[in-house]
Amino acid sequence: MSVRISVEPRARPAVALRLGVPVASLLAAAAVGGVVILISGNSAIEAYRTILDSSINGVRPITRTLVLATPLILTGLAAAVAFRMKVWNIGAEGQLYMGAIVASGLALWLPAGLPKVLMLAAMVVGGAVMGALWAGVAAVPKAYFNTNEVITTLMLNFVALYFMNYLIFGTVSFWRDPGRNYPQGKLIPDAAELPVISHRLHYGLVIALAAALVLWWSLRGTTWGFELRTIGDSPSASRYAGMSVSGKIVSVLALSGALAGMAGAIEVSGVLKTLDPRALATEMGFTGIVVAAVARLNALGVVPVAVLLGAVAASGAKLQTIGLDAEIVFLLQGLIFLFVASGEFFLSNRLVLSSRSAPEPQLAATEASHE
Amino acid sequence: MNDTVLVLSIVSAVVAGTPILFAALGEILAERSGVMNLGVEGMMLIGGVTGFWAGVQTGNLGIALVAGGLAGVVFSAIHALLAISLRVNQIVSGLALVIVGNGLSSFWGSTGDDPLIQSFNGVQVDPILPEALRDLPAVGPILFGHDIVVYLSWLIVAAAGYFLYRTNAGLSLRAVGEDPAAADAAGLSVTGIRYLFTLIGGFGAGVGGAYLALAVLGTWQAGMTAGAGWIAVALVILAGWRPWLALLASYVFGALRTLGFTLQIAGVDVPSDFLSMIPFVVTFLVVVIVSANPERARRVGAPASLGEPYSREAR
Amino acid sequence: MTAGRPPPSITVRALASVGETILEVRDLNKSFYGVAANDRVNFDLRAGEVHGLLGENGAGKSTLCSVLAGLYRPDSGEVRLDGQQVGLRSPHDAAEHGIGMVYQHFRLVPSLTVAENLVLGLKDQGVRLTLRAVETRVSQIAEEYGLSVHPSAYVWQLSVGEQQRVEILKQLYRGARILILDEPTAVLAPQECDKLFEVVRHMADQDHSVVLVSHKMEEILGHTDRVTVLRGGRNAGTVDTADTTASQLATMMIGAEHMPEAGRHTPRRFDDAEAVLTVSDLKVTGDRGTPAVNGASLEVRRGQIVGIAGVAGNGQREFQEAIAGLRTVTGGSVRLLDRDITAARPRRRSQAGLAYVPEDRLGTGLASGLTIEENLVLKSYRERPHSRLGVLSSSAIAATARELVEDFDVRGARRGMAVSLMSGGNLQRAILARELTRPHDVLLAASPTRGLDVAATAAVRGHIRAESEAGRGVLLFSEDLAEITELSDSILVMARGRIVGSYTPDTLDIEELGLLMTGARDHADSSGVAAGG
Repeated sequence: MSVRISVEPRARPAVALRLGVPVASLLAAAAVGGVVILISGNSAIEAYRTILDSSINGVRPITRTLVLATPLILTGLAAAVAFRMKVWNIGAEGQLYMGAIVASGLALWLPAGLPKVLMLAAMVVGGAVMGALWAGVAAVPKAYFNTNEVITTLMLNFVALYFMNYLIFGTVSFWRDPGRNYPQGKLIPDAAELPVISHRLHYGLVIALAAALVLWWSLRGTTWGFELRTIGDSPSASRYAGMSVSGKIVSVLALSGALAGMAGAIEVSGVLKTLDPRALATEMGFTGIVVAAVARLNALGVVPVAVLLGAVAASGAKLQTIGLDAEIVFLLQGLIFLFVASGEFFLSNRLVLSSRSAPEPQLAATEASHE
Repeated sequence: MNDTVLVLSIVSAVVAGTPILFAALGEILAERSGVMNLGVEGMMLIGGVTGFWAGVQTGNLGIALVAGGLAGVVFSAIHALLAISLRVNQIVSGLALVIVGNGLSSFWGSTGDDPLIQSFNGVQVDPILPEALRDLPAVGPILFGHDIVVYLSWLIVAAAGYFLYRTNAGLSLRAVGEDPAAADAAGLSVTGIRYLFTLIGGFGAGVGGAYLALAVLGTWQAGMTAGAGWIAVALVILAGWRPWLALLASYVFGALRTLGFTLQIAGVDVPSDFLSMIPFVVTFLVVVIVSANPERARRVGAPASLGEPYSREAR
Repeated sequence: MTAGRPPPSITVRALASVGETILEVRDLNKSFYGVAANDRVNFDLRAGEVHGLLGENGAGKSTLCSVLAGLYRPDSGEVRLDGQQVGLRSPHDAAEHGIGMVYQHFRLVPSLTVAENLVLGLKDQGVRLTLRAVETRVSQIAEEYGLSVHPSAYVWQLSVGEQQRVEILKQLYRGARILILDEPTAVLAPQECDKLFEVVRHMADQDHSVVLVSHKMEEILGHTDRVTVLRGGRNAGTVDTADTTASQLATMMIGAEHMPEAGRHTPRRFDDAEAVLTVSDLKVTGDRGTPAVNGASLEVRRGQIVGIAGVAGNGQREFQEAIAGLRTVTGGSVRLLDRDITAARPRRRSQAGLAYVPEDRLGTGLASGLTIEENLVLKSYRERPHSRLGVLSSSAIAATARELVEDFDVRGARRGMAVSLMSGGNLQRAILARELTRPHDVLLAASPTRGLDVAATAAVRGHIRAESEAGRGVLLFSEDLAEITELSDSILVMARGRIVGSYTPDTLDIEELGLLMTGARDHADSSGVAAGG
């Protein structure tokens, strides 16, 4: 009578499932999102048409999507590389802010007449180094005391956030434009702006794609990546094989922080042209973690996922014109994650429905025979 | 003397600390079962918008708070499903709640025929004790000047402490969080208990969000929590997963959130950003210091299975 | 329901209770990922008896017990209690039916007290936690059965033996009438074992039934009324203990074809051979912070196979790990040829010529989520041709993997497949392939054939002999005495962190060795051994 549901791992999901499940998950996310939009009294069809129009229909929408995807690729990679080794860096947010602070600081401090290449290199490298150092603040206790990095990296996000706010809103700092009443950052010089590819799409995308390729290759094709994957899979086997786990924790967290810091530098140089705390504190770091999770921590997989979430985000402003709040994009992004993550479970496991193993019916039979 | 800076700042610390306290108590109970829900900020927002909406509709504080709490429950159920049943990484699932909660709450609060942003607070949140008590010097405003929710929170703290350490159900909760395999062998339903307390955690966060919108801010505003949910997460650790310490810590953190204004009134210029930073810096330092000494780490006592999914037949 | 109850006559009940079958298991099947752990197993238990369940590792004892304890659901078959079929759906269900299990790994919450652990999960306790009443009741039961434990002590403060007593108390407190003890002595010191068996006998006298799971012959012979032997997941027979002998049980347990013959091979002399591994007075601390190895010394010479026999948990694991460099040494030294490697990192030791086949295959010997190719180069990925300047060569790695898979007959490995999907025998072949093809002078092998089928076992032993013939030294740890006696040129016995006995095939005295292993007799000077802790 009673039905039992048990979970069994699938050894190797069929190809059809591996393609079908993510697609079905996306459709389900869209369906639930549509219901929410309907409940709010808007047309879901119109909303989705607007999203498609403003994200992929035409050169301008596509560039907008890619501009928004660029930082998500980098923060997604930051999460993917750390999570791959089961080091839970959830501090990409803060590492991104610190990278942005240093990159904008360098842009303002270095002579404005510096060649563009040098200026940009200084900013990107400076942002990455700062991101790595900020991650290092959590990495060192993790490596030496085994301090829980989930908490330390999370706390450091807020320290960085309030520090960044302070630089612009709290005081007249080097970063702030003293000539304005409303607190605002100084604009960086032309030499510090990333050149554009088309419309507002800047070369930061190329940097992000290159980072994805390099990371993907490093994870597969280098001894460094091999060690990282082995430690992530089995710390005990990696020690047996002679790998240094604590050294790796520091280097991986630093790399993760560097990628996030680079994202901050590129946002400043390619999009914002100034240190703008409001525009930076839009959960790009947290979203990167979701991107990495949806991409199953695969460095190349991060790119399409980031572009997908970027496309959703690109429609924010347009959605307002049809009466929907721009914030709906966060809802849709979250729904995509929730459904893909659940889909992932059903991809690697299957539910087995069975009636409660034989006893009850047989018991009934034996009792009957006794009578 | 009841309007001196000190008294006023203590009072405002209690007011500002109360939403954090509700959220932190909920999270303590959830984490005691072994489920870490980083989505507190998202659940508070969703509880805030729902509670505020219910308040505008009904004008009844109780209904509004319960509505906020239930919204938190619905939200935490997503996390419970993902983290407990589907064994999704709890960190990722919690962060997704923050993102969805942020989006959904501000979306819901700003669309429709009459957006909440334009609404006024329809709920009266007044002191409940007689004026004679409230006018007592110093202790009057600090102890007797609060609304019913503050007193309720004290009761809940006491109840939670009693529950955890003095009841059989509390023992079961602690056992599930410490050692799910042992709890399972003892005949407890690990999954059931984890679901229940994850949902209770959501209720706490939802009530906290609703109280924040209704009583502390008196209005709905997108992103109104401004990190209160994250402070609650930090506070759980600082309080060592103990309700009484959470009460204390939430008022200290509440004070820090309001100290900027207070100091400005007093003519002292300390950048508010640095004050806002304090809870996070302190939590960071405490976590590092505690972990440096394994013996100390055991006494502080994070539930041993925190963040780890449980599966009986995993061999 | 009341119709079946016998008339309330005290004499009749007392007579009937001895030998009355209370638990029956019929045709039980349970498999994990397609591998049958229990294959049509039958078992019955009488009231008031101590029933031994004997079998080698992987014979299916634990699976049978886990089904009885409600932890696993059988794929098919039935369990009857007092003639009534029951479905044991959860540990709670089993407890309701009066079945209590004491696992090897205790199911106690370390941060709770003894009394708290006892009431945990009990129904009908009311809202309030009333520990005082519990503590009184616990003291009563404890006294009744000779189980002394302090009810308000925290479990993490207790010794292993005390924790085991708490587990037994817990089951008695819950009214268990059938108690399953899963290899209860594996974790105990000899004095504690005696105490345990007193308790067991006491329980049987009080009409409880005890299932004693063990692979130690002397326990079974000395402390049970009947024995059921399992082999390879199937019944090998059930006999009255009084009517059987150790050799008869051993034949049932191991199967006639694999009986150990003491001193099978002629002794070889190694006096002139070079020492390849020298361990002097090694001291190692265990996970609990207490000494695990208390000054162990040994020497392995070229061509020699040194076997270390012993009951699990007597410091073997820590000893192996210290030699392999996975655990810090607190005293003594380890030398490989003429190099002191006491403080060397694992990688240096491997380069210096130490091959290591660890006990834990999937998890230590192999990284379970990595592919077979990756696992085969786990120790050589930094070397040419597998990598150059930090860049891996997938073609060189694939070529090496192909070669090793072929040479060592690793079956069921497909390219790019995660090793977690492979069978135990093939996992071990893969580890051997990797370890034995690297330049080395010493092979350190821990329980290399545990849980393997006959063919794989033979293959592994063949490789170990080949090592000896190639002039390398082998240090073999095994709980399987037959394996030790069959392979070793020198047999050492390890107990309580020390080497307590040493034999060559011609001087071997199995009985004495057994006594040394179980700590019943102490060959070496016993001063200081008992003083630990």
